[in-house]
Amino acid sequence: MSTSTPRMNAPGRYSVDSSAETALRNEAATAHIIPAEATILVTGANGFIGSRVVRALLLRDFRRIRCLTRSTTASQSLAVLRKEFGADRLEVLVGNLLSPEDCLRATEGVSVIYHLAAGIEKTFPGCFLNSVVTTRNLLDAAVRQQGLKRFVNVSSLAVYSNAKLRRGAPLDETCEVDTALAERYDPYAYAKAKQDAIVLSYAENQRLPYVIVRPGVAFGPGKAKLPGRVGTDTFGLFLHLGLNNRMPLTYVTNCADAIVLAGLTPGVEGEVINVVDDDLPTSRHVLRMYKQQVRRLISIPIPYRVFYVLSHIWEAYSRWSEGQLPPAFNRKTCSAYFKGNTYSNKKAKSLLGWHPRVHMGDALQHYFAFARKSKGSK
Amino acid sequence: MIKAAIVGCGKVADQHAQQIHRIRGATLVAVCDTEPLMAQQMAERFKVERYFGDTSDMLEASKPDVVHITTPPQTHFALGKLCLEAGCSVYIEKPFTLDAGAADELITLASGLDLKVTAGHNALFTPAMIRMRDLVRSGYLGGHPIHMESTYCYDLGDPAYAHALLGNSGHWIRTLPGSLLQNIISHGISKIAEFLTTDSPSVIAHGFTSTFLKTIGQPDIIDEARVIISDQGSTAYFTFSSQIRPSLHQFRLYGPAASLLIDDDHQIVIKTDDKEYKSYLRYFIPPFLYAKQYADNAIGNFRKFVTSEFHLPFDAGLKTLIEAFYASICNSTPPPIPYRDILLTAKIMDDIFAQMKT
Repeated sequence: MSTSTPRMNAPGRYSVDSSAETALRNEAATAHIIPAEATILVTGANGFIGSRVVRALLLRDFRRIRCLTRSTTASQSLAVLRKEFGADRLEVLVGNLLSPEDCLRATEGVSVIYHLAAGIEKTFPGCFLNSVVTTRNLLDAAVRQQGLKRFVNVSSLAVYSNAKLRRGAPLDETCEVDTALAERYDPYAYAKAKQDAIVLSYAENQRLPYVIVRPGVAFGPGKAKLPGRVGTDTFGLFLHLGLNNRMPLTYVTNCADAIVLAGLTPGVEGEVINVVDDDLPTSRHVLRMYKQQVRRLISIPIPYRVFYVLSHIWEAYSRWSEGQLPPAFNRKTCSAYFKGNTYSNKKAKSLLGWHPRVHMGDALQHYFAFARKSKGSK
Repeated sequence: MIKAAIVGCGKVADQHAQQIHRIRGATLVAVCDTEPLMAQQMAERFKVERYFGDTSDMLEASKPDVVHITTPPQTHFALGKLCLEAGCSVYIEKPFTLDAGAADELITLASGLDLKVTAGHNALFTPAMIRMRDLVRSGYLGGHPIHMESTYCYDLGDPAYAHALLGNSGHWIRTLPGSLLQNIISHGISKIAEFLTTDSPSVIAHGFTSTFLKTIGQPDIIDEARVIISDQGSTAYFTFSSQIRPSLHQFRLYGPAASLLIDDDHQIVIKTDDKEYKSYLRYFIPPFLYAKQYADNAIGNFRKFVTSEFHLPFDAGLKTLIEAFYASICNSTPPPIPYRDILLTAKIMDDIFAQMKT
């Protein structure tokens, strides 16, 4: 286990421990589908995962990375990277994916696109607009580029349906995507599934060379809140819903690494690749460590079947009351997040040659250290 | 059965669709957005039969009785006119139009065509505001309000969100003549307009940029406003703030015999009687009576919740307004918001923005 401590003093730097960075630098010469001089576009480059993707690309010696951001003042993490790696290697383009003109500017001459920008609003229209319409605009511009080698669409593990899976059964790339995600009352997952569908339609109709990456729950410094798959904080009590379920976690730098490889590795066009780390902990383990290392909280364990029945009652009440309480708790969500499936990263390892550089034990320590510093509030 | 359609499939449209589904005798027959993907997702989620990318196509194919316009305000007038000329009554989200002139033109057109229009002033129809109106009608105030205070706050949220919203100078909110204020203050102004007696009240407005917005590099956006409105019978203060905490939405009516406080955030109506108690009793009895009023409000709200009549106040207000508007269309009765109030609200807002520009 690494003894390195996470660096949290500057945005864009705090997530990659030194041993992982060294390994990345040594691997820089590995065969890729594009040369180091090729132009790479990263959308959502200011984000939690996006900033790590940019950093991982820079560590691999890529010299023309273009980041599309909505405003320059919000791109603090990119400013740090420009300072560290040189402004000539990192172009920051201010624009909006809702603007077709901005999409054309952003995609001009690019060889690989990492599309991480996504709607994270609480409403369906907000998420849809900023995930699906933006993706369509980006794709319209991208397919005009003769030299485009790969479009990496970053999706989510949340789009799968586990309705036909038993508890404990593996949820992997062969599982079907949920076609009724609106009923889950989960705008993010709904928009992500629609985004994937748009990418697939462009692949079919426009021969878009794509890879879809579906990360599990990305965690690490930068996000202090306990992952929702552990449970939910309500009225001052923490309902522990995950119990002994394995959590589909992926440490943010490991996740970024897999995404980067999805854009560079030859022969993976048209693949869907799930990303979770090794040695996945149980929800109970994560919660126990969180209580020990971050803050004390009162938790009530709720067994899956009990929560399923409660979700059913909530759903029925929501329907009867015509939405006086929205169906935020419902059987589909309960099943998707707390049924207790198992997860695999075999495909990511075999196709991309990826392996999680930061071990789960270290990753959790990094996360808890950040959460402790942030008092678990973010 | 009244056939409804929605033009503009953004966030507000979802709220409209939810409430239309709750109204018996109403059906949502079509949705439309210039971005067909947005129209498609809305049609899919709300199980609407047809979706369109062009309003004229929708009007022609679906022939709705009423169209809800939930697009950015810059398009309200043109779309409203188009729908009216196609024979549809129109519900237009706030702000009704960009200025009073356009509002007048739309209302005149609707009246000439024997159609109805209304503005999205659903804050007038929250359960607390309806109780207030009942009390005023019962003569509780003892006459016309002498003075009013309307406080309407808007929490810009964390700096990152505020920056994303306001940092984009091309955002439709930024391009409104009254910028951020124009998109929000009609809720607070319309409460005052209801009780003004003249059509040309005097307006004195003062606006400024909060320290918060200056700190995040947005010194040219006015997010604080203090307004004095007066006419022959009444005066009013209007306060808009992005910085006051808690972010209040309150309305006070001061009458010649008694006063009322309407707290829309908590759905509380408090009556203040002109009743004197002798000596030190005034310090003991009224607090108990106020406590009882607050308890009665809590019990009333809880009773409504249990019987599924509560919903979120603005959603409840939206349903009440839509239902009343549909009833006015079906029964050929006056619309729930008098046209005079819509025009007066628009005129006061014009005055406010004009003064803030100078």
